[in-house]
Amino acid sequence: MELCDIPAYELSLLLRQRQISAEEVTRACLERIAAVDGRSGALDAGSLTPEDEQKVHAFITITRERALNQARTVDQKLAAGEDPGLLAGIPFTTKDIFSVRGTPSTAASRILANYTAPYTATPVARMEAAGAVMLGKVNLDEFTYGSSNESTAFQPAPRNPWNPAHVPGGSSGGSASSVAAGEAALSLGTDTAGSIRQPAAFCGVVGVKPTYGRVSRYGLIAFGSSLDCPGPVARNVVDAALMLQTIAGADPRDSTAAKVPVPDYLAQLEGGVKGLRIGLSPDYFRIAFPDPQTGEYREQSLPMDIESPVLRAAEVLASLGAEIVEDVPMPNTRYGIPAYFVISRVEAASNLHRYDGVKYGYRTRQPIDDLTKLYRQTRNEGFGLQPKLRILMGMYVSAAQYSAQYYQRALRVRTLIRRDFEQAFDRSGKHRLDALLTPTTPTTAFKMGAVYGDSVLMQYADQLTVPANHAGIPGLSLPGGLDADRLPVGIQLLGPDFSEDVLLRIGRAYELATETEDWRKVKPMVLR
Amino acid sequence: MNDYEAVIGLETHIQLNTTTKIFCACKADSWFDPPNTNICPVCTGMPGVLPVLNKAAVEKGVVLAAAMHAELRPLSYFDRKNYFYPDLPKGYQISQYDQSLAFGGYLDLPVPAANGQPAYIRKVSIHKLHLEEDAGKTKNAGHERLIDFNRCGVPLVEMVTGPDLRSPDEAAQYLIRLRQLLRWLGVSEADMEKGHLRCDANVSIRPRGATYLNPKTEIKNVNSIEAVRSAIEKEIERQIREVEAGHRIEAWTLEWDEEAGVLRKMRSKETEADYRYFREPDLLPIRLDDAWKADILKALPELPLVRRQRFMNAYGLPEYDADILTSERNLSDYFESAVKAYGSDPKRVSNYLMNDVLRMLNETSKTADRLRLTPAYLAEIIKLADAGTVNTSTAKSLLQKVEESGMAPGEIVAAEGLAKVSDDSAIRAVCLEVLAESPKEVESYKAGKVTLIGWFVGQVMKKMRGKADPTLARTILEELLA
Ligand SMILES: [Zn+2]
Repeated sequence: MELCDIPAYELSLLLRQRQISAEEVTRACLERIAAVDGRSGALDAGSLTPEDEQKVHAFITITRERALNQARTVDQKLAAGEDPGLLAGIPFTTKDIFSVRGTPSTAASRILANYTAPYTATPVARMEAAGAVMLGKVNLDEFTYGSSNESTAFQPAPRNPWNPAHVPGGSSGGSASSVAAGEAALSLGTDTAGSIRQPAAFCGVVGVKPTYGRVSRYGLIAFGSSLDCPGPVARNVVDAALMLQTIAGADPRDSTAAKVPVPDYLAQLEGGVKGLRIGLSPDYFRIAFPDPQTGEYREQSLPMDIESPVLRAAEVLASLGAEIVEDVPMPNTRYGIPAYFVISRVEAASNLHRYDGVKYGYRTRQPIDDLTKLYRQTRNEGFGLQPKLRILMGMYVSAAQYSAQYYQRALRVRTLIRRDFEQAFDRSGKHRLDALLTPTTPTTAFKMGAVYGDSVLMQYADQLTVPANHAGIPGLSLPGGLDADRLPVGIQLLGPDFSEDVLLRIGRAYELATETEDWRKVKPMVLR
Repeated sequence: MNDYEAVIGLETHIQLNTTTKIFCACKADSWFDPPNTNICPVCTGMPGVLPVLNKAAVEKGVVLAAAMHAELRPLSYFDRKNYFYPDLPKGYQISQYDQSLAFGGYLDLPVPAANGQPAYIRKVSIHKLHLEEDAGKTKNAGHERLIDFNRCGVPLVEMVTGPDLRSPDEAAQYLIRLRQLLRWLGVSEADMEKGHLRCDANVSIRPRGATYLNPKTEIKNVNSIEAVRSAIEKEIERQIREVEAGHRIEAWTLEWDEEAGVLRKMRSKETEADYRYFREPDLLPIRLDDAWKADILKALPELPLVRRQRFMNAYGLPEYDADILTSERNLSDYFESAVKAYGSDPKRVSNYLMNDVLRMLNETSKTADRLRLTPAYLAEIIKLADAGTVNTSTAKSLLQKVEESGMAPGEIVAAEGLAKVSDDSAIRAVCLEVLAESPKEVESYKAGKVTLIGWFVGQVMKKMRGKADPTLARTILEELLA
């Protein structure tokens, strides 16, 4: 096994025993990137070559020298017997939606392509303070607006390491694909409707959407400010716990970051699931969506390939002593997407106001002497299709005459979705769940180009993940098997506020119990 | 004019005098600083930043709201006001909309007697009171537009009155009283020239006695109380002219040109702009619980107009004295301490303050609490004068000496031998000396120019460096010259 394929926790043991050096680990990752990543995402990239179609394209910016310097610093500390930090020498990538001082921080948009951040986001600063080595900034859907990563202005878009003809998911597609392809042990992603969990599921890795406020948003270029959660993408549950340990906690720069103490995730990780009540809900085994013609709700059941790994996971957990509670009603799940459509777009349109060509980022090159024309031309040229769609809808539903009908109503739906969870997790309620076990996504990774452009259908890819964002609760996606095409299937655990420790414990128990199963031995196609 | 009455509402923006800005750690006041020196990623709206609320801004807002008798909300929210402008770096202003810090409130505005009209009280209601961040400043320089972000994120309270004011004078009085209150409370420097207190005026007219409201115009860019008065006067005249000519008043926004002394039309206001307000998701609601509120309001002082009334009732001061002595909180505190130390006759203390101490304050541009002439020293000097230990002119010069040296009045009197000489023989000796040295004047006096007696007294006082009892000196001189 190559160094770059060793998970973070084992790497940190080897590093502390001084069997390997941080520089060796970093170089192994840079070599893997050179071997499988292909050209990095860039503006005006031209058409795809056949070779491009075989590569991962996780990166926008590779910060090679910065990484090697960080690695050497860790090695010096190790040599001097100093404490180099919890994640010393562990290579990671950062979704290019985070500001990192001195690096291009593009949000995968033309409008920020020339922008270099003057400060570092809190979660990245915490990773680096813990000794982790940042290899670079990875690709995403433009401003995180998408579920396939195809909307990036920096092409070629990332591809799924399990089959490069398929999308890696999104918006944290670069994060999930870089971890799955062994380019980095960890990645920092963001999840607004499923943007960590869905690509994690598509790429066969672990993704955590923490409780809203568990991880500081300072430095995260905002999409839906009331929904955005930074979180870990990792190769296994232990690594995810290790990373969450590092980035979680209050931040004086983010007043919405919770002051709730951070538990020791690693200490409890192998505590098992005995006595835990884990629920299954029929509302998470179907997709409900309004018929575009009639507006009537239509329902569709999930493919067997998606459903059966979840049911099997329930059996495994039951055999480990968990109590499986069936038929938990989550009736408002179906309204998650429409409400999300409204709330996220109102926030997004406002968050995008600052990109006006005046202060930083892209400005139209056309000679213009009128301020309003400058705004219009700059934004027309600088934003891609997805930001434009979001601005249009956001402006519409927050207009004074429509706000009550759409925005205020969506906020009420959000409260109802939260109530579904409160009732399911209520300690003295009927179900008293510690967690809800669901599929992460309604399908496995779809083919590149298959869904893109159809914004509505793309959104329904988030139906099973978005309720957690509405409710603010934590969610964990972990690999649950492979489908008939040998593409990964994700299973999801949802729990009450700040129950990341319990979700990680359940995930770890499942991981240990299935450690020797055949599907776990299959490697992504780009590594075969 | 007599057939019409003016209906005026004032929209004020008050810069709170916090050390740092409302959502970041940058210095709040940049009056003396070059452009773009007090800025950071947060107040310039760089991608990814978040606001963090400065508690001091909330506390000052609460103090002001309480002083305006407004109802404080236990839970209030920040909202985004979305619009594009180059000096608004985020493309939205963080403000408060439907659930602001406080609601309601009023100011009982004393309007002084003028033009034969007696003084009266105008109750001015407060329609809106909320916290918000300031935007930057835009300056046009030839073909370029220069932007200074220093002011971005400076904490403001926006306070809007009802259409309750009825004349340019009332509007000016309101601003005078508001400025006094803001300084009194210590929540703002309230300097209009420096933009700490900004005012837009909404003006309409209607037939006297009518109760309906006509379309109003909004006057912007008025940077002094005098400008507010003149601009409103001009606008009322214009509206009367228009109406008399049979025209309708349109809802224009006007700009006051200070130099030319004229109003210019900025734009018509057919439709209200839609700012698409929604809750600011990056900030938690302000939870003003009882404990915090009590803690903030512990420091709420007696209000200036209340104290003014009390000075009249409790100390029997004339309105004129009470008004001046409560023009500033320091001065009124000084007065009360001095009255207490003196023990009686507040009017006598007031006279010393109004005549001498105020002049001293003006000359040194000090505030009363900075004087070395403490209220206790002032009281001591008045007592020395009352007891006849020093004469009146010595007492007045003592005020200056105490202020300069910081020494106690008694010590100065002792050290400089300033005590009034009432000893007949000592004064008599000096009088004889003066008469001996001034044969010509003695001759004139004796020839009938008795007004010279004042000159002789002056000479005696001069020789005795002011210590002589002038009445006694006069009696002795008259006796010797008889
Ligand atoms: Zn600042």
